[in-house]
Amino acid sequence: MALHDQEMRFVYAETLNELMAENPKVLCLEADLSKATGTNPRVIEPNPSHFVNFGVAEANMVSAAAGLASEGKIPFAATFTCFASRRVYDQITISVAYANNNVKIVGTSPGVTAGPNGGTHMCFQDLAIMRAMPNMHVYSPCDAYELQAVVRYMATTEQPTYMQLVRGQVGAVFDESVTFSPDRAAKLRDGSDVTLVSTGYMTQFAVGVAETLAAEGIAVDLLHYPSVKPFDADTLVASASKTGGVVTVENQNIVGGLGGAVCEVLSEQCPTRVKRLGVPDQFGEVASEDYLFEKHGFGPAHIAAACRELAGKENA
Amino acid sequence: MYGDGKDIDVKDTFERVEFDRLAGEWRYVITDMICRAGSGHLGGALSLVEVVLTLYKRVMRYDPANPKWEDRDRLVLSKGHAAPVLYVALAYEGFFPKDWLGTLNADGTKLPSHADERFVPGVDMTTGSLGQGLSCACGAALAAKMDGKPHTVFCIIGDGESNEGQNWEAGMFAAHNNLDNLVAICDYNKLQIDGFTEDVLDLEPLADKWRAFGWEVMEVDGHDWDALYETLTAAQAVTGRPTMILAHTIKGKGNLAVENRPGSHNIKIPDQAAYEKYMNALAVQNCTLPY
Repeated sequence: MALHDQEMRFVYAETLNELMAENPKVLCLEADLSKATGTNPRVIEPNPSHFVNFGVAEANMVSAAAGLASEGKIPFAATFTCFASRRVYDQITISVAYANNNVKIVGTSPGVTAGPNGGTHMCFQDLAIMRAMPNMHVYSPCDAYELQAVVRYMATTEQPTYMQLVRGQVGAVFDESVTFSPDRAAKLRDGSDVTLVSTGYMTQFAVGVAETLAAEGIAVDLLHYPSVKPFDADTLVASASKTGGVVTVENQNIVGGLGGAVCEVLSEQCPTRVKRLGVPDQFGEVASEDYLFEKHGFGPAHIAAACRELAGKENA
Repeated sequence: MYGDGKDIDVKDTFERVEFDRLAGEWRYVITDMICRAGSGHLGGALSLVEVVLTLYKRVMRYDPANPKWEDRDRLVLSKGHAAPVLYVALAYEGFFPKDWLGTLNADGTKLPSHADERFVPGVDMTTGSLGQGLSCACGAALAAKMDGKPHTVFCIIGDGESNEGQNWEAGMFAAHNNLDNLVAICDYNKLQIDGFTEDVLDLEPLADKWRAFGWEVMEVDGHDWDALYETLTAAQAVTGRPTMILAHTIKGKGNLAVENRPGSHNIKIPDQAAYEKYMNALAVQNCTLPY
């Protein structure tokens, strides 16, 4: 079965199993959400001695992960994004990033994908706040194959890291040939009319938008950023200097995340008009994805409209 | 104590007169270090002198020439603001030159105010944000269990620090996972920044709380050499559950300007008069500074 036919959380779990077979230092840490993360029973059954459940105690999980990492273990600690980032921000800051312990934080159900759990669980700020932390890498893979590559990379590098994990099935962007480097954005489509920049969950939609626009005669330069930090500035600057207009889209608040990173780079290196799409500095709510895309203006139709505008082809 | 290879074992060379002398010297050096820095956490460093000295002289196995020796005993100083007493212990045991001690908090120093494993040989965990160290120690103890290693992970927490809820998350976790290689010591000096612990946020009945969390609990006079040694080694022998040692101590012990005084958590030394006030208040005088 192709990875695209599977839920992302199951790809995460199976990738951990493969890594544990290669390196017994790899550990799976959970905080009473192991079924939601997909690691129960998929990891706990074949690898019970590499699985630790901390209960509903995320602070202890993160600092204990730091203690495990200081002893050479490679802990992947997962919970919902809201708890994996904002609830344990100080634990990650001090026990992990400041102390430079090799912990991998996995935030599941990012942004609108938290759907039925609603506003309390719908975290739109994790990319921004984790990006503002020194010594942290921040990744958001867009599909199952890239997820596999990113998790493999994380297990084989000594670097405190935060990764978003969409739990459900995601549209295909890559195939098994994909490789990952945090220093490199993926150019998914060449175009000269407008630059479209996306990360994580939104990239699958960006691909479809770029195809639609191509049929209209608008050539999109499509950049996917699996790593929001470090951020590949060169690829962005080269694209912006070619197209003269940049649209960003992310499953996050437009403050401080991918759009923020793009604006920081361009304002200093290549002043360019930018349109940021995402959640306009509001909390989430119980709602469907389509409802939230429509309400906040970052679904496929909105992405297409923004690209047309910045390409100067609004009447195409 | 230490040796120079895999056969390292504790070499207990207790002599009461020598330990008393060393404790006085350490308090003299700690007070001077903090005074030179212009400010610092004096009270909670002085209360731990006998605990830390006993750990390094009689209980823990380590190798100053190989600070990351994998079979060493670990110490997580969760109340990281007491770093000066740990730095003195490490310097006196040979982990780094004693003249570093004169650089506490100086610009570009290797000895920052809170314990830092990134710069200081022998520090096993970076701490400073209260409540996290016991969790870190749980992780280190769990790793030792996974790897079948027999070493002990010691962790020193503060009594004020015990207000932090994360300690109690760690408490549940350590008992649930039978981390009998984890020995925690609470520096129970009864004072926190804003006053006496019973007035700010009462911890009592503290021993009962830890017992209820599934820990073996021991209480000890934290300035009594014999009792400390017996309690620490007894804690290492406990099987099946972690141990919490409530070390009853006196904040600011050995320096009458701060001893058992609210306000002794962090002192400011703006001028020579303040420096002399704190140095002259030491019970032991005229030690030689090693820097």
